[in-house]
Amino acid sequence: MGLEPGPFHDRLVALNRQQAWMNWMGYASPSVLDNVEFEYFAIRNQSTLFDISPMCKYSITGPDAEAVVNRLVTRDIRKLKPGRVAYCIWCDEDGNVVDDGTIFRLSETEFRLCCQEPQLSWLEDIGWGFDVSISDVTRDVAGVALQGPTSCAILKDLDLKDIETLKTFGIAEFKIAGSDVTISRTGFTGDLGYELWMKPADALKVFDALMQAGKLRGLRVIGYEALDMARIEAGFLLPKVDFLSAQTVLRTDRANTPYELGLEWLVALDKPHFNGRRALVELSKQTPRRKLVAIEIERDKPAHNALVYHRKTREVGMVTSALWSPTCKRNVAYAWLDAPYGQSVTDDLWVEIYLQKEIRWQRRMARCHLVDKPFFVNSRRSATPPADF
Amino acid sequence: MSGRYDAIIIGAGHNGLVAAAMLARKGRKVLVLEARDHTGGMLGDEGFRIAPLPYALRPEIIKALALDPRLIGTAKPVETVSIGSDGSAVSILGGQVKGVDTATTQAYSTFHARIGRQAKALGVMMLEPPPGLGKASFGEMAALARMALKMRLLGKTEMRDLLRIILSNAWDLLNDEIGDGPLAGALAMDATLGGAMGPRSPGTVLTLLYRMASQTSHGHGLRFMPEGGPAALVKALTDCVTAAGGEIRTGAQVDRILVDADRASGVRLQSGEEISAPLVLSNASPKTTLMTLLGVEHLDGEFVRRCRNMAAKGMVSRLDFDIADMPSLRGGGTITSGQRLVIAPDMQMIETAFNAAKYCDLPERPVLEATYDATTRRLCVSAQFTPYDLNGGWTDDARAKLSASVLTVLEDALPGIGSAVSDSRVMSPADIETGYGAAGGHWHHGELRVDQLLMLRPFDGAAQYRMPVAGLYLCGAGAHPGGDISGAAGFNAARAAIRDQGN
Repeated sequence: MGLEPGPFHDRLVALNRQQAWMNWMGYASPSVLDNVEFEYFAIRNQSTLFDISPMCKYSITGPDAEAVVNRLVTRDIRKLKPGRVAYCIWCDEDGNVVDDGTIFRLSETEFRLCCQEPQLSWLEDIGWGFDVSISDVTRDVAGVALQGPTSCAILKDLDLKDIETLKTFGIAEFKIAGSDVTISRTGFTGDLGYELWMKPADALKVFDALMQAGKLRGLRVIGYEALDMARIEAGFLLPKVDFLSAQTVLRTDRANTPYELGLEWLVALDKPHFNGRRALVELSKQTPRRKLVAIEIERDKPAHNALVYHRKTREVGMVTSALWSPTCKRNVAYAWLDAPYGQSVTDDLWVEIYLQKEIRWQRRMARCHLVDKPFFVNSRRSATPPADF
Repeated sequence: MSGRYDAIIIGAGHNGLVAAAMLARKGRKVLVLEARDHTGGMLGDEGFRIAPLPYALRPEIIKALALDPRLIGTAKPVETVSIGSDGSAVSILGGQVKGVDTATTQAYSTFHARIGRQAKALGVMMLEPPPGLGKASFGEMAALARMALKMRLLGKTEMRDLLRIILSNAWDLLNDEIGDGPLAGALAMDATLGGAMGPRSPGTVLTLLYRMASQTSHGHGLRFMPEGGPAALVKALTDCVTAAGGEIRTGAQVDRILVDADRASGVRLQSGEEISAPLVLSNASPKTTLMTLLGVEHLDGEFVRRCRNMAAKGMVSRLDFDIADMPSLRGGGTITSGQRLVIAPDMQMIETAFNAAKYCDLPERPVLEATYDATTRRLCVSAQFTPYDLNGGWTDDARAKLSASVLTVLEDALPGIGSAVSDSRVMSPADIETGYGAAGGHWHHGELRVDQLLMLRPFDGAAQYRMPVAGLYLCGAGAHPGGDISGAAGFNAARAAIRDQGN
């Protein structure tokens, strides 16, 4: 089918009863293996494995690595200690977001960037003139996300010493089935969970060990659809769905600033010059022309692709991601609202939901309210040590 | 920290001096820092002038700085003598040409007048800051509108003709209008000298128009040797700065532009001395200013990329030959101080020379512009299409090879010159780069091309003299309207800096 098999492909093929694949950066990635409900509930009640090898990964090393990463992202990376991970965004010269991702600080002078979109030429531009070496390590590092309440217990069953002391956004080195595995307590589900990084050659060995250890912990391999439900509940944005990279838009007004995305908490205007800083200083003084907000919608029908109205008549925005949250029992969504809606005007907002019932379409106006992200909050995500589920 | 000034100008090239004089005359306490031991930049070195032939300082600038109008006003325009392949000489002065047949004389005169009118319409933008992309001010748009109006006032036929030729090449235009030969060779030389373009390259009509946009009472497109030579011009500008209270320090190499809280705050010299000033104007080339003196860490990645990609590959080497007794021209007569010798017998010769340079090689027969200075008994040659990024680098051997090929070309026009030369010096684009803060050794600090002019000069996002770090300005040839000895970039930059300060 023209897609590349990833490091875990042999096992995923065997488990993929639906044979439902999607294209993730050229890799065959399962969208659902047998049943999305089973997979989703495994994230929240048991444990799950999801192959994240297709994520773009870059190594940034050298004497100036910290300066280059700090020049790239909007956060003050000088505050990130070795052995820690930070969620970051980076902007172009106009202050529009290029992409988001996680920065792993492996040592004083070694960083790894994990993100959705290819960034090598961008990183080379940012690093030009600095004593730094930048390389694409996407194919050199296999990754699997182990997420869910029993994830720590599985790792403990594999005799990973002191894994329970690893704090959220921490990184540590372990051995699983004799292979070196770097584990970070990170994830895209908003739940207790870890991401495991290893050499592609060791991928199947580690996978088998995890599956074996997870037998009595309800471990299940999942696809993208279940993860997408969890990430909406967890308040994470998805590039290409909720926003577009400034580098990929054709219409300049489709690019988004951190202020529009509600990510201003990631922008450290007080650090030395970084890419887009001057534009961001100006933008920080202005009212964003639109805003990505979290909304809760009355009644139970998810508002996929719905338009948002003020007083049921004036069109003021649109929904990008929507979900009936099975865990929160709430009908939630992210929506773009044009100023001043979602900022100074927050009442009397409605979403227009189209429902197809046996061929016939029905239109329903449902009232919505602005709420805070994330929708799903559980103390087990960050409890150290995690409780033994 | 030593001393406190209102403005520091990096580089005492003619643009830097014009900018310094403008600021000093507005009451600013100005310090000009020059790395070399003389002012005037490429004009100023008595021992070896990179630009031996001053172009035309804009009359508006002479007026604004209250310079002696005799500097240019009473100076005689320089006559061009272009040597054909058979050794015959064509003499060109403005719209007049001698040494070609009557039909060509007539055709040239008509062509020269027309292109002068067209260049004048474009020339409106020369002393105006280029409009901003996306957010031009009313004044900037008004200047653009004036240019459009001037173009329209040329009349329908001539405006259409201008729009037809403006992006095309000198080869086609000159072949259409006057035919190939030493006359077309001299004009094509004007269109390409200093740039990495041959007569067939698109955009060479635009550079020819640029050349023709200079205006004096003698007409357009002329070059002048001021009374007293380049030295007089440099001295007049230097005196103008000091008379207005400005300080000039030579032998003071700037190592770094200092930045405090995202504002230019002064400079650090190579000696370690720091001098503070809220305004820093740099006469160095854009690449040198931004990437070497300021540092990329103060700039966004995209901005740096555009700066890196700016075309600024120098093509001209300068050679000086000491000749006590100048030999006569093959076709008879001699070269005098008031003349400019061009050896580009036809456009094909220029294009052939350019072909080698495209692939980083020296041409077998470079095309030449030369002047003879009778007082110093020196023939100053500008050899065109000697690429900055020469294969194998600019070694002593490469310089000797170039010197020999230049003498071979000269020998055809001036028989016996080889034996008359007592001493010679060569300055390659690489030498010009190190000596004069011009990245790539480029005369104009950046190619004069349609994608590097006006609001795109030196490159997109850096076009209005103001750099992203507040208080830092480009005032050299890299900025609009660009190279040659016109002083316009320094003049415009100083006005932009003054305007930003609110008076």
